[in-house]
Amino acid sequence: MAMIQDIFSSFVALVPVTLAQSLILAFVVLGIMIPFRMLSFPDLTSEGAFPLGGCVAGVLLAAGQSPLTAIAAALIAGFAAGCCTAYIHLRFRIHTLLAGILMMTMLYSINLRIMGRSNLSVFGMESLFNWSPFGQPGFPSTKIVIAGAIGLLVLVLLYLYFKTERGTGVRAVGSNPDMAEAQGINVWTATIGGVGLASAFSALSGSLMVQSQGFADVNMGLGILINGLAALMIGEAITGKQTVLRQLAAPFVGAVVYYQLVSLCLAAGMPPPDLKLATGLFVLLMLALPSLKRGRAPGAAREVMRE
Amino acid sequence: MLEIKSARKVFFKGQADEKIALDGLSLSLKTGDFGVVIGSNGAGKSSMLNAISGALILDSGKVQINETDVTGMPVYKRAAKLARVFQDPMKGTAASMTVAENMLLADLRSQKRRLRQGLNATRLAAYKERLALLGLGLENRLDTRVELLSGGQRQSLSLIMAVGGEPELLLLDEHTAALDPRTADIVMKATVRAVEALKLTTLMVTHNMQHAVDYGNRILMLDAGKVRLEIGGEEKKQTSVADLIGHFAVKTDRMLLAS
Repeated sequence: MAMIQDIFSSFVALVPVTLAQSLILAFVVLGIMIPFRMLSFPDLTSEGAFPLGGCVAGVLLAAGQSPLTAIAAALIAGFAAGCCTAYIHLRFRIHTLLAGILMMTMLYSINLRIMGRSNLSVFGMESLFNWSPFGQPGFPSTKIVIAGAIGLLVLVLLYLYFKTERGTGVRAVGSNPDMAEAQGINVWTATIGGVGLASAFSALSGSLMVQSQGFADVNMGLGILINGLAALMIGEAITGKQTVLRQLAAPFVGAVVYYQLVSLCLAAGMPPPDLKLATGLFVLLMLALPSLKRGRAPGAAREVMRE
Repeated sequence: MLEIKSARKVFFKGQADEKIALDGLSLSLKTGDFGVVIGSNGAGKSSMLNAISGALILDSGKVQINETDVTGMPVYKRAAKLARVFQDPMKGTAASMTVAENMLLADLRSQKRRLRQGLNATRLAAYKERLALLGLGLENRLDTRVELLSGGQRQSLSLIMAVGGEPELLLLDEHTAALDPRTADIVMKATVRAVEALKLTTLMVTHNMQHAVDYGNRILMLDAGKVRLEIGGEEKKQTSVADLIGHFAVKTDRMLLAS
């Protein structure tokens, strides 16, 4: 009994910190969800775009630039990275996953070049999280409010966008590219723009993370993709994905729940090195579930992903 | 008006399995014409439709729609001028989107998509009205995702989507071939109604000789990448299924059975 109380109290003590972290990482989950679900373009760029955003923001912050400049630069860099992945896929007909692996591998070198070394401290520099009108700067509550507000703003803007004439066209590209083209939609523009936007969100997450933790590191993206996928699966299990709003809310809900679960596992004494294995097994289970339910019989038509 | 001038397309050029899909095919349809295209498998029917819609880029030759040369235009630009219904009901609609969203996509085919609300009350009412013409109850299922509809319903939706916005050219690619006889009949009747009401210039590919005899004002028979036979005007009215089958170089039981 005492042990359970111990676990519980250490978990509860971590709740605010974890919540702040998860609201920042929700943007990576969003950056994974948009290509995957809205464009049927399974994309791995986020594993490189997240540290890219962090490195770009880190260098600018260390040089004394304003956090807004740092974030804007991170967004642009992320957007460019995503555009490259989509272009590689479309132009050279390389599988989306391979295009993503190529980009994230190349981004590792680029990230190192940007920073000039493997990590960089921005501790004590100006940060977005110092700008809260209430709450103490640097404390989890401030981060929760600021990251949460940005998240809400992004969610509302994306929802409104996907309901417009142009946004509906972008979704059609994900649903049936041939049909979309036959209805006068430029598949190239929609794909490049959409994947670019998604990577911009991953980079935004990286830039916020650097400001939150006070340093940038080229390895900060390691495993972010599988964490993000796990969060997305949980989010979709909770919110569903039948409507645009549910699909858009899934990354945010999923990130919050997933990182609390991780925190609970750690509080319960799971050794941190085992975490990636556990996460991987979890994602595998979630992806395998439909096929397990179906048994071995050939199933109904499955979602078609682009190759 | 549609004009194809000496279109040529060779697949696997210079290889052992070289295949001439279109061999100097020329064809012209006047505005308001309803041409029915027949021909055995491999005659070049699909290649011709693909060349018109832009999915296939010609080696040489020209495609013109109402005085505009579209030969080098990508598919999404040609979409402003033409609409197409495919044989496969899955191809013409976006499965994971709702009936209303699909109607919206087709509605904007020839317009610039803007950053303004897509589905508004005016549009929804208009879509409801257009779908009601089918008599399949689709007008009450605007918020249903298309993947939940039956093949026949999806194909009917594709048709309504295609004829909406009055395209300059309507391409029908064996669009009733995958449907059961009753649904095929509903879709075919709806097609003829729409084509006549809107006076659409139409090109329909079919393997159903009865359809070729019953519908349209011209029959175009394709063989080895060329138009082998053209029947129009009074002559078309006199033509019977047996006459048509007589023109095929290779007779198969399938043709007789299909008619």
